[in-house]
Amino acid sequence: MTTKRSFPFDSVRGREIKDLPQPGYYNGFSTLAQKDFWDEATLRVVEERVEQTPPIRFFNEKEAATMQAIVDRLVPQDDRAADRTIPILPVIDERLFKNRLNGFRYEDMPPDQEAYLRGVQAIDEMAMGRYGVSFVDASVHQQELLLKSLRDQKPEPDHHVWQTMPVGRFWSMLLEDCVTAYYAHPWAWDEIGFGGPSYPRGYMRLENGLPEPWEKDEQRYEWNAPADSVSELELPDNKTLAGNGGGQ
Amino acid sequence: MAFFESEMRDGKHRLGPMQSIEVPMKQFGEDETVDYCIVGVGSAGGVLLQRLARAGFKVVGLEAGPFWNTERDWVSDEEGSHELYWNDLRITGGQDPLALGSNNSGKGVGGGSVHWAAFTPRFHPSDFRVYSDDGVGADWPMRYEDLKPYYELLEREMPVAGPAYFPWGDPHGYTYAPHPSGGVTDVLVRGCTELGIRTVSGGPVAILSSSHGDRPHCIYRGFCLQGCKAGAKASTLITHVPDAIEYGAEIRSLCMASRVVMRNDGRVAGVEYIDRKGKQHIVKARAVIVAGYAIETPRLLMNSACPGHAQGLANSSGTLGRYLMAQAGNVVAGRFEQLVRMYKAPPANALSEEFYETDPKRGFARGFAIQTVAPMPVAFAKHMINAMGAWGWGMRRVMMDYNHWAAFGLLGEILPWADNRVELAEAKDQYGLPVAKVTFNLHDNDKKLIEFAKNKTMEVMQAAGADLVVQEARYAHLVGGARMGDNPATSVVDKFGRTHDIPNLFICDGSILPTQGSANPGLTIQALAARTADYLIREGEGVFYTNGRNLNMEEPHTRHDLSPKYTAMRGNPRIT
Repeated sequence: MTTKRSFPFDSVRGREIKDLPQPGYYNGFSTLAQKDFWDEATLRVVEERVEQTPPIRFFNEKEAATMQAIVDRLVPQDDRAADRTIPILPVIDERLFKNRLNGFRYEDMPPDQEAYLRGVQAIDEMAMGRYGVSFVDASVHQQELLLKSLRDQKPEPDHHVWQTMPVGRFWSMLLEDCVTAYYAHPWAWDEIGFGGPSYPRGYMRLENGLPEPWEKDEQRYEWNAPADSVSELELPDNKTLAGNGGGQ
Repeated sequence: MAFFESEMRDGKHRLGPMQSIEVPMKQFGEDETVDYCIVGVGSAGGVLLQRLARAGFKVVGLEAGPFWNTERDWVSDEEGSHELYWNDLRITGGQDPLALGSNNSGKGVGGGSVHWAAFTPRFHPSDFRVYSDDGVGADWPMRYEDLKPYYELLEREMPVAGPAYFPWGDPHGYTYAPHPSGGVTDVLVRGCTELGIRTVSGGPVAILSSSHGDRPHCIYRGFCLQGCKAGAKASTLITHVPDAIEYGAEIRSLCMASRVVMRNDGRVAGVEYIDRKGKQHIVKARAVIVAGYAIETPRLLMNSACPGHAQGLANSSGTLGRYLMAQAGNVVAGRFEQLVRMYKAPPANALSEEFYETDPKRGFARGFAIQTVAPMPVAFAKHMINAMGAWGWGMRRVMMDYNHWAAFGLLGEILPWADNRVELAEAKDQYGLPVAKVTFNLHDNDKKLIEFAKNKTMEVMQAAGADLVVQEARYAHLVGGARMGDNPATSVVDKFGRTHDIPNLFICDGSILPTQGSANPGLTIQALAARTADYLIREGEGVFYTNGRNLNMEEPHTRHDLSPKYTAMRGNPRIT
């Protein structure tokens, strides 16, 4: 469930982009439609990801609400239909509840569980200090401004937590956890045109970005982030993202 | 309903779709004394286990992770492959801390060879004399020519597919045909050609380009780093372990070695370990080979400290844990107007070693390679956090363009430095054992090398026609920490892996490398293991009884008759 919403914009048609069953440039492409060609072990793992969202057990109610608002800005899904929203917070919560590690901890970082609790509290207190409201109650724009200050490693306002926990490392861990949950989901694979699981069938068209018979060519469209968003890509001057999406 | 259900449910221990373990595994008794206990059944441990079993020794391998049934346990999915890696706690620090876990550390039978990309370039002859040639790093206590027969042997056993002509180092060719190109290979070859840089493509990689014995060829699904469920990519799990078991080796999986046990006569008695139920045991062995890789090997020997060996076993020189190396592994990503679809075909496919050797004009010693990599979506999104500063709508946008990107990895030689090291931390793991603390700092030569290599690799991406080129600093592979050398005061083991301090304690894995070149270390680690095995076989019972240091240090006769089945053919193309 997302918190506040802020919609990207289709400047050609002059309308907000929302309630999409499948954002991205591969309309009609579905990895799950290929599941008969997957091995059983893979099918089980991917289907479980889609069908079973783990309960929130690590964060308390208040922390979970703040985290949800943070996650909604780090990987915004406002363009997605409500029933096609990819669960991110439950995946992070489960990792922390089970204390599932990634094999290391930086010597200047607290253990992952503690880092999250301290970070979430700091973000909420920063919102209170800067806007006089909790992070959840801040506007989407305010939430983005605050998070961007963490990304830029210049917390605004500063908070004592960042004296003992490097803000850059916390940002990386938090954002890595978010993108891991999102881009591990087959709906995200459909969005970006990734072919997904492919054993035992494999691929046959390896060169020139050509699609398999069951894949789709790209159908690009222009879209703009919400007008007041500060989370767009920062491209060098004279760079744009243009594309020839195949269709040879 | 998936098509392939029935094959999974027949109860067999499967290693790929065609291969399975058919014979019951030997089980030595609790009190039985075996000849060799090998700690860690990975790249080196798997080869050692197989050789020593074939030669008739009683061998037990202890493996901290599971003994994979690949049809049951492995998936075509990034997140679902988390358990292939060493995920237990380690502390990482220093000025340039190394990411560990999935980046470089495996757990389970096959070890890192389960999730390697399987690039298998040989080291160059110059790698064995870095100190003599450049006045930095260290010399190896052996020459390229000593290892060459084992490079050729392992290239047949894995086997390696690659070009007919590999022009760098000691030029040579490969027995199995090169692989077709994927999108990233096209980009690498195009960019290098534009700049007049030589490249090879289609290998060398330890991935089958045609079926071989009971293993099928590659299906180009791209999930090499998630464990090759197709059974085409070599790992010791499927190349050497089945043969080891057929010849009477025992593997005790999910068994964590906690201590190498000393006798009071200065020799080791065996290895203490904790089994999957938390029960403690000891394997009594006439000799022990530690093959736990660059972090767990020093950690185990330090955790084995006892009276007479207060700083850990085999550490009278104080060099145990020191001279740890990782290679610079910056990822350079380029965006193209045309689609690339880099998820197809093995990530490891094309490379250039044109900048491998020292060039005095560059102002630093040694060099680097440029290789194809092809991150899957989750890994690529993580790159974009650092390379593009992407988040929020920017992350969504750049990932919608995933199919427009190609990625290269540079592989740069970082020199061995005493302050880059493994020590014990205060924190403990789930067994109550102190975990490793890893300290890593780049030195001046390393920084200059990385800057040059990064710019050159970005130039290649640009020359290939990318409209946007970005990069992220990172590191690849881990070696050193128990280096080999002739001088017991400055090294841990001799050229065959025997510790200078304890005559029946050996180390054989990536940790014994004195320098690392800019070649992926997997082939070299397995070649060293086969050579150490030949040495042990030649020395026979002497290993178990001799205390003297004046042992026969002649190179062993290469045993071509101990290869796993289907691999005993002749002929590595040599370029003369």
